[in-house]
Amino acid sequence: MKKSFGVALGILTAIGGFVDIGDLVTNAVVGSRFGLSLGWAVVVGVIGICVFAQMAGRVAAVSGRATFELIRERLGPRVAVLNLSASFMINLMTLTAEIGGVALALQLVSSVDYLLWVPFAALAVWLVIWRVKFSIMENVAGLVGLLLIGFAVGLFLLSPDWGELGRQAVQGVSTDTEKVSTYWFFAVALFGAAMTPYEVFFFSSGAVEEGWTEKDLAQSRANVLVGFPLGGLLSLAIAGCAAVVLLPQLISVTALSQVMLPVAMAGGKLLLAVIILGIVAATAGAALETTLSAGYTIAQFLGWPWGKFRPPAQAARFHLLMIICLIVGVGTLLTGVDPIQVTEISVIFSAVALPLTYLPILIVANDPEYMGEHVNGQALNGIALIYLVIILAAAIAAIPLLIITGAGQ
Amino acid sequence: MTPGTDDRPGRWLDAQLHLLDRQVLDVDDVPVAVVDDLELSEVPFDQEISIDTPPPVITALLSGAAIATRIFGGRPPESRMQRTPWAAVVDIGVVIKLAVGRDTLDLAWTERWVRDRIIGRIPGGRHIPGRKRSEHSGSDERGGS
Repeated sequence: MKKSFGVALGILTAIGGFVDIGDLVTNAVVGSRFGLSLGWAVVVGVIGICVFAQMAGRVAAVSGRATFELIRERLGPRVAVLNLSASFMINLMTLTAEIGGVALALQLVSSVDYLLWVPFAALAVWLVIWRVKFSIMENVAGLVGLLLIGFAVGLFLLSPDWGELGRQAVQGVSTDTEKVSTYWFFAVALFGAAMTPYEVFFFSSGAVEEGWTEKDLAQSRANVLVGFPLGGLLSLAIAGCAAVVLLPQLISVTALSQVMLPVAMAGGKLLLAVIILGIVAATAGAALETTLSAGYTIAQFLGWPWGKFRPPAQAARFHLLMIICLIVGVGTLLTGVDPIQVTEISVIFSAVALPLTYLPILIVANDPEYMGEHVNGQALNGIALIYLVIILAAAIAAIPLLIITGAGQ
Repeated sequence: MTPGTDDRPGRWLDAQLHLLDRQVLDVDDVPVAVVDDLELSEVPFDQEISIDTPPPVITALLSGAAIATRIFGGRPPESRMQRTPWAAVVDIGVVIKLAVGRDTLDLAWTERWVRDRIIGRIPGGRHIPGRKRSEHSGSDERGGS
């Protein structure tokens, strides 16, 4: 009984924790411009994160080693430091975007300017990291994040022409007004939003935080293989809402309020309140994850003690680093930079940095010295190699597409 | 450890593969550093080496400034090397274990400085997150699991 409860809790947390500001914004932007014609990119991204997180979680559970320690061991210090710089900068950008997302959601509730909410949001994130137990932090953020199911409810209440949505999803390019390069730019953005590197740093370090062993492999697999795809459905629901309401009226999404507009039309104030609470939880949860990931990556690269299972004084540099990252994030937001634009850029750079993180995990997942009998099976290696090609293609195409399309304008 | 043709019992280790960039844990299994570089016993420079000279042995694990020289090349000044004597190593697996505590090692001074000057002074800094009682034991217990 207790065990099945644990599995259910893990899955629910994975669903609620899947969506972050990057998924919210990118899916709504894409839905409002391309309908569901890019739905396949979400599916490709979700399968990819399942493969990747499953490997990283297994490596962490079996070897007790988190991702960045292995990146350095396998790639050597030169490549690892490049990787670290890229991952850390993207992570910092994502952290900034998530805190901005929390503040924007609170602005919608309170009518107080989001800039005033930014320092409080960051302070709350720090307090949770400083004082709250890892598993409670994970479960609360994930479970409240489940309220984002409101997007799926909203989509049903809008009673759209399902046949038309299905046609968009199957046909691919739907609109004649958008260029091919823009279409592919947003395909890469959706892929990057689904496969953000911090998710893997967090997932593998979290396995170490919670002391996972080989016995927990089944739980880990269930979390990833059931939780993430259901989380991906929430992403599609967000895109679907935008496709039904915003696309026909040619409204392009430039603010968080527009992401929620379809839900407000469908479900009124009550559903809107549910969605806003869900967005606060989802972005705050992701802000916690990115802040911790910033600490994890550098601490693991340099061999510092890290983790929330230690008192902060026993992982002093790790905690100091996270405080500095939060201050930098707040400082960046207070310059008045648009959090939505930060988000859009961060998902593209996520796609660029992905191969650097993916390859070493794939190598270690096949190394019997670390994995013993739990090395990758042949079928998984087959899929993992296909994804290596996809990930490389997305990474190579990302920056040229960013330049050609002027960030999708 | 000794390369060559002898048949003494032991394991063959590739310094690049099995030592460099490995995590180092202290006697309580707390991370202290990563092996940034290795220090070898003196090899005479620019001289003929006679055939019966013993091969050089590893004398210390280096960390700190050594990482910069691994990335950018060059050689840090002797005074900037943070050395962990090879004699302290007790086990080499996927991680390298030491027989000594971190507080006896020079290389952990930055961690101690940040702990004593900053993090340890913030209220709650010495408690495990989510636990009521503070735990001062040096052991590496997991919080609440």
